[in-house]
Amino acid sequence: MVASSCGETSSTKKFQTEAVGNAGFLARHNGEIFREGRSFSGNERDKLFLNQGDGSFLDVSDLSGADSANDGRAVIAFDADGDFDVDLFVHETQRERHALYRNDIQVPVEENGAIKVQLRAVTGNEEAIGATVVASVGDTKVAQVLSRGAGFVSCQAPELIFGLGVEEMADVTVHWPGGGSETFTELNSGTAYLLVEGVGRAQVLDVVERPLPDPMRRGVNVRVGEKVTSIPVQGEGGAVLALDVAELSAGKDVYLNFWASYCGPCVAELPILDAWNTAGEVSVVAVSVDAPSARERAAALLKERAPGLALRFSVDPPPSGAPAAPAAIVDLARLPLPTTLILGPDGTVKRILQRPVDEEKDRPGSK
Amino acid sequence: MRFAKRPDPTFLSIGAALVLGLSACGGEEAPSEGAPTEGATTESADSGAPVGAARVLTAQDLVIPDPDRPHDSVEFVETESESVADRLLAFSDKLRKREFEALSDFFTEDFVGSPLDSWPKKEGGPTEWPLDISRTEFDVEGDVAPLDREGFEASIQRVVGGWSRVESVLWKVKGAEFQKGLRSWGKVRLKLHLLGEQPGGSMVAVHGWADARVTNRDGKYRLDRFRLTELGQETRQRPMFVEVAAAAGLAHTWARFGTDANQSFHWNGAASGDVDGDGDWDLFVPSDGKNFLYLAQPDGTWSESAVASGVAGPPEGTGAIFFDCDRDGDQDLMVGHVGWREPGGGAGGERIRLYLNDGKGKYTEFQGGGFGPNGFGKAFIAYTLTAFDYDGDGWLDVHVCAYGRVESEHNDSWIEATNGSPNGLLRCLGKDADGTFLGFEDAAEKAGVVDSRWSYAAAASDVDLDGDIDLFVANDYGSNRMWVNQGDGTFKDGAEAMGVADRGNGMGAAFGDLTSDGRPDLYIANMSSTAGNRILGRLSDDIDPDTHAMLKKLAAGNSIFAAGADGKGFERLPRGNGGIGASWAWSTALTDLDLDGDLDVFCTNGFVTGKLPFDT
Repeated sequence: MVASSCGETSSTKKFQTEAVGNAGFLARHNGEIFREGRSFSGNERDKLFLNQGDGSFLDVSDLSGADSANDGRAVIAFDADGDFDVDLFVHETQRERHALYRNDIQVPVEENGAIKVQLRAVTGNEEAIGATVVASVGDTKVAQVLSRGAGFVSCQAPELIFGLGVEEMADVTVHWPGGGSETFTELNSGTAYLLVEGVGRAQVLDVVERPLPDPMRRGVNVRVGEKVTSIPVQGEGGAVLALDVAELSAGKDVYLNFWASYCGPCVAELPILDAWNTAGEVSVVAVSVDAPSARERAAALLKERAPGLALRFSVDPPPSGAPAAPAAIVDLARLPLPTTLILGPDGTVKRILQRPVDEEKDRPGSK
Repeated sequence: MRFAKRPDPTFLSIGAALVLGLSACGGEEAPSEGAPTEGATTESADSGAPVGAARVLTAQDLVIPDPDRPHDSVEFVETESESVADRLLAFSDKLRKREFEALSDFFTEDFVGSPLDSWPKKEGGPTEWPLDISRTEFDVEGDVAPLDREGFEASIQRVVGGWSRVESVLWKVKGAEFQKGLRSWGKVRLKLHLLGEQPGGSMVAVHGWADARVTNRDGKYRLDRFRLTELGQETRQRPMFVEVAAAAGLAHTWARFGTDANQSFHWNGAASGDVDGDGDWDLFVPSDGKNFLYLAQPDGTWSESAVASGVAGPPEGTGAIFFDCDRDGDQDLMVGHVGWREPGGGAGGERIRLYLNDGKGKYTEFQGGGFGPNGFGKAFIAYTLTAFDYDGDGWLDVHVCAYGRVESEHNDSWIEATNGSPNGLLRCLGKDADGTFLGFEDAAEKAGVVDSRWSYAAAASDVDLDGDIDLFVANDYGSNRMWVNQGDGTFKDGAEAMGVADRGNGMGAAFGDLTSDGRPDLYIANMSSTAGNRILGRLSDDIDPDTHAMLKKLAAGNSIFAAGADGKGFERLPRGNGGIGASWAWSTALTDLDLDGDLDVFCTNGFVTGKLPFDT
């Protein structure tokens, strides 16, 4: 549908490399196709290529956790929390536009440490932008360039981070803009330095450590301690209900469980939830997130595995494309299954389980 | 109106398709319905008895012959390929949402295929990648019986049904040939990719290649045969990075691209620096609707302060940089904008803005030398801004990459477009005797860097090792520039001589040592296209080898150029080294993410992801 038109069928033979079609250009910058919701080179996730030390790379993007498909543009690679590794800020084009990726590679510090350097020039511009900084680590040398404005519309923080691998120290040579070179020796792992031109001795910088918070639980839009007072669901026959948590609870905890018929671990835990519910220890709301086409199968499974639980479905997504209810509680597009929220009688979220319930540890009343 | 008008269904060059991955032909030759069956039952073993429980399937059932009368019209083949690709994306979408009941529509009744699971591991068992990644290759030549449709669907369900979350499923068409005749059938080369999370939080990626036969019996392509040729899997106990923007106070959720609130093609950047001098890294993020200045707080969060700090400015900025332009010891902020002069002479869009820091993180917009109430006097369609002192006077200058005005202009070539808008070089004028900051003037012409290629990105470094700073500029729709600083306030282009002209669709560039030899190499983020490569695979007989090689490069993706020892040039790293396989890449950061002592590559990727499963 986009820019589809046949030129001459023999155009293969008369290949015109310089020819420019307006249609192609316009398609790329044509809002119409995007308004309709089509992709154009879409679902291309951000990439992470791991250097194997010799200039050959492994594509580990899939397991990076930093591979959003929100069409990233700018990226800042910096030590956001002062823990001597490289975190990433990515400016995406849509939806969750600001992404901050905390580096959780968690290699032991004694094995893979780092030094950080900032520069201060004396002869030219103080910021020494464009300086080449070479760290000699063991037998290898690695060069980085101090930039302000590179990549695509990205301005990095003026601090270079050098991984040391198993080494404990490095010598650092700075090629200052203007032509002078200078080596700063024996910089220690786990230390940040200011390298001042002409001084020859690295000055230790204080590091502000400010650990980044843990993320919200994936796909869950409420935090522990916040309240869920009403749960919108679809009942049998499609009627949309707002379940009142206080009413459901009658003084007991409410286990709000999200499951699907295709999810093996979910189906396996249904009898446990059913038994707790039947024993009156808790009130269980089990919400199937199955697509409408699979609801019949879900109903049959629930009847067989957990006959005491009422049949509840997530609410069909509205035609507007807005997220499906209960969006205030969970984001169904991102929610891992099974997920169970344990709510107190007043709706306060006490715990969030993103795994099957454990018959002992998660038994009502357990901590 | 920010969007260009819907294109007229006029001429579309193959060049456009190569670069942009557009379908090259309309549906005039689409297969007609109701035509006699052909192809679907040729050569293969199912021409006799229908496949079903009654018959034992063997590996012989998976033999997919090549079409003996292949279509030779590139347009026809590409149109059919797009149809198959769209069907597979719809299938991928159902699988991602785990609508297993909806899958049968994508297979013929007599489908036969290799299972996706139950293959033996290849000799040697799982191998370890760095960072505790466990990797398994499966022996798909092994002795596993083929499955019918029901069995195949069950096999798919076994693979992704056990996951706690499906992050992504993509089955892409990487090559195709179609049999001539009234009924369409084709042999297609598929790349499979499935990504998810297992209970307990471990990550799992499944990837493979397959040959398939697709048939079109009622206007829809369906998979009829499916033979895996490669299958592998990687897992890691937990992701390497955890996204914490919401918890850290940085979250900004905005509309889908293509909606009224988000439809501008003026891509927004990001900048980091220490705005308030407290030793941690703050962030400036220009955006649609408003700017964000995030000040780092001691508790690991950021607080947004654009209005209070004086940088609310006009929104929709592109490249932004922190630098100390007036040399008073704090970080000033320059923000690029897309601006132009209307044919009648009026001002359109926005101009580059400059905000001066008072030393405590409060900014005042500069309205002095070169800058008025609406920003810099001259309009640029500005993207990446790059600060460096090109003339060695101690004051930082700024190169401005200028693109074309996409709302009204078209590139005049797919391989050497020169009708973008002229780049700028804002030379800092320093201070007068009273200490008054004099601002900037555009010295691009004087310095010899006026260039009307479609420039998106630049990076500065001393590439020729003579002490002054040179500048690489990555251009879309053409060759790049390596502006070699002559040391006298002028530049000469050395891109060809240094081997980095790299004709392609340059979107981003950065210097960093990727070969661990102490010399900064050059990474260029380019565009590549599945459709483009598909078409090229079929064109080799029809065009001369040089043109083919050049076009192949255009569609090939990113480039890594290793610096030589003498500062005279660069050499492209072989494709086999990897590190370049993004698709539509943008920015790149060369940095040591695992702290093992070498620089890794992070690269943003993707043009526009819509809500529908169809891609162009």
